[in-house]
Amino acid sequence: MSKKRKISLSEDELVLSLRNHEKVAIEALYDMYSSSLFGVISRIVVDTAIAEDILQETFVKIWHSFSSYSTEKGRLFTWMVNIARNLAIDKIRSKDFKNQNKNQEIENNVAFIDEQRNTVYKPELMGVKDLVQTLKPDQKSIIDLVYFKGYTHVEAAEELGIPLGTIKTRLRMGIQELRKHFN
Amino acid sequence: MEDLKAYIETGILELYVLGDVTPDEKRQVEEMASKHPEVKAELDEIELSMELYAKENAVEPSEDLRGRILGSLLTNFGDDRNFTAAPPHNESDTYEEEEEEQGNAIVAMPVRKESNFYKYAFAASLALLIASAVAIFNLNNKLQDSNSQLIALQQSKQQFANQVNLMDKELTVFRDTSYKLIRLKGTPKNPASAITLAFSPGKKKVVLDIADMKMAQNDKAHQYQLWALVGGKPVDLGVFDSASDTTASIKEMKSIASADAFAVTLEPRGGSVNPTLDQMVVIGKY
Repeated sequence: MSKKRKISLSEDELVLSLRNHEKVAIEALYDMYSSSLFGVISRIVVDTAIAEDILQETFVKIWHSFSSYSTEKGRLFTWMVNIARNLAIDKIRSKDFKNQNKNQEIENNVAFIDEQRNTVYKPELMGVKDLVQTLKPDQKSIIDLVYFKGYTHVEAAEELGIPLGTIKTRLRMGIQELRKHFN
Repeated sequence: MEDLKAYIETGILELYVLGDVTPDEKRQVEEMASKHPEVKAELDEIELSMELYAKENAVEPSEDLRGRILGSLLTNFGDDRNFTAAPPHNESDTYEEEEEEQGNAIVAMPVRKESNFYKYAFAASLALLIASAVAIFNLNNKLQDSNSQLIALQQSKQQFANQVNLMDKELTVFRDTSYKLIRLKGTPKNPASAITLAFSPGKKKVVLDIADMKMAQNDKAHQYQLWALVGGKPVDLGVFDSASDTTASIKEMKSIASADAFAVTLEPRGGSVNPTLDQMVVIGKY
C-alpha cells in the first residue's frame, strides 16, 4: 500500500474540527504533530516500544480531554507537548518502569540520548546544525534538559551546579536565540 | 509598563511554556496574559519558537504506529459520536483541575480494564473449578455404581457357572448306569416326607436330590443327617438343610462302598455321632 498522503490543516481549522469530533481531525492532528511529540517523548523515554505506547496514550488523552483545551490558553502544540511530556515523565518515574530497569540513570542519559538521536536526525532537518551554532552550548543544554529530558529548572540547576537565577536567565536567553533563529 | 517588562524578564513565561510552573504560577501567568496583550504576545512568541524547536528535533514514529494509534482513537470514535454529550467545558474550571480529572479518567481506564480482566478470569476459574468438582463427584458416583454392577454381574456369572457345574454333575449322575436311585419314604410319623438319593457302590458315591426333596423345614438349631445302615450299624454320611441354597439341586454326601439301607434323622445342627432314632424322618432300602 502506498504511503498515505499526510493531512494538514490550519490550527484554527484543526481545533474546530477536533471540537466537532471529526474523524479527519484526528488524522490531521496525528500527521501534523506526531513526529514533534515523538521527538520529545523519545528523548525522555529511550525505549522505542515504550515511547510509542506513550505517544498513543498522549493522543488518547488529547482526544478525550480536548474539551479542556481553549485557544485562549495558548497554542495547541504547547498544550499537547505538556501532556506528552507529563505522560513520559510519569512513566520513567513510575515504580514498574524503574523496576524494569529499562531506564538508565537520567544523568547518564543526557549525553547518551543525544548521541543516539543525532544519528537519526533527518536530512530535511539539517537546520538543526545551524541551530546548534546559534545556541550557545550552555543555553542549549538547559533548554534540552527541561524540554527534552523532563527536568524541572530546579533539577537542572542542581544537575548543572548553577544557581536557579542563572538557569532562568539562560533559559530565557536561549529561547530568545531560538526566536531570532526562527524569525 | 516597566512592571510588565520586568515580569516578562523573570523568565516565568518560558517556564510556563515548558510546563515547569506550579499551579499557582500557572494561574498567575494566564491571568497576566489575558489582561495584558504584551504578555500574551510574548507568550505566543515563546510557544511558537518552542514548537518550531520541537519540530526541528522531531523524530518520525514508525509507519505502523499511525494505523495503531488512529485505529485505537477511531474505535472509540463511534462511541464518542453516540454520546455527543461530551463533558461540557466550564470556563471557570481551572486548567489543572480539569486536566487532572480528565487525566485520571483516562489513565484509570486501562487499569480498570486489567483488574476487570483478572476479576473475570478469577470468577471464570472459580466457576470452572466448581463445575469440575461437581462433574468429578457425579462421575465418581457413576463409577461406583458401575463397579457394584460389575461385581453383581461377576457374582451372578459365578453363580451360573456353579449351577452349570452342578447340573453337569447331576447329568453325569443320571447318565451313569452304576448309580441306583433309592427313594427314601416317610416314616409313619412323617408320612409326607420323601427324598431321593443316587448311590453308586462302585464309585462309593452318594448323591442327594435336593431339588426334589419333600422335607419339613428344619429350624436353625437342627439339621437333617443322612445315615447308611451297613450290617445293621448306622454310618454318618453328612448333614444337610431342607432349605438349601437354590443353586445346588444335588448334594454329594460322604462316600461309602456298601449300604443296606439309607435313613435321615433330624439331629442338632452339625450332626450327631449316633442317630436319634425317634427323630427318623425317611428311610429306604437299597
